[in-house]
Amino acid sequence: MVYIASWDEFAERSVQLFRADPHSSRYVMKYRHCDGKLVLKVTDNRECLKFKTDQAQDAKKMEKLTNIFFTLMVRGPDADISEASGKEQVEQAASKKGRGRRQ
Amino acid sequence: MVLLQPDPFLNELTSMFERSTEKGSVWVTLKRSSMKCKATRKKMETAETIEYRCLVRATDAKKTISTSLSARDYQKFQASYATVLKAHMNALKKRERKDKKKTAEPEKKQKKSEPSKKPASRASQ
Repeated sequence: MVYIASWDEFAERSVQLFRADPHSSRYVMKYRHCDGKLVLKVTDNRECLKFKTDQAQDAKKMEKLTNIFFTLMVRGPDADISEASGKEQVEQAASKKGRGRRQ
Repeated sequence: MVLLQPDPFLNELTSMFERSTEKGSVWVTLKRSSMKCKATRKKMETAETIEYRCLVRATDAKKTISTSLSARDYQKFQASYATVLKAHMNALKKRERKDKKKTAEPEKKQKKSEPSKKPASRASQ
């Protein structure tokens, strides 16, 4: 399976994949500490989307996508994920402030 | 497969992350599930709406744990889960000046691989 290079493409396609077949889709996160690698996978057993990274900034994006999937899985595929993505913006603003302080 | 309550699950997940720092990986899977088999689900579909929960499974290849989240407790779990991940995913590269060199290296490799295709195509011509 080929890894998707663009995060935005991965996030968008994985949500589409889940919504198309919520019963057989799953979202897998694999973290390997010794190699410092993070792999995300979304599959419905027919199509498989994967994303690989070693960057800490992608872990933040992963956290937002995880929240979206929690919402979709608990509330159903038609659930409004704008709330989860709304939180993203707040978090993004907070992280930007954090970066400013460090400098 | 041990089905745990959300809080013990997070504790166990934490120790899984701690055990796998030297070697090994941790997998966490999220799946929408009614916690019922397909046959029961088909019977229930006609009668009433099925309650779906979010099944969370975690494994470090030695041990597997799982928990099931209802609409009531998923938001609390979501926040605690994010905290656990943040605390343990510290082997990833940060965006610092030192690391910029490291990230630039794979780009160079890609550039090198591109011209290498061209001589091959010339050779074929």
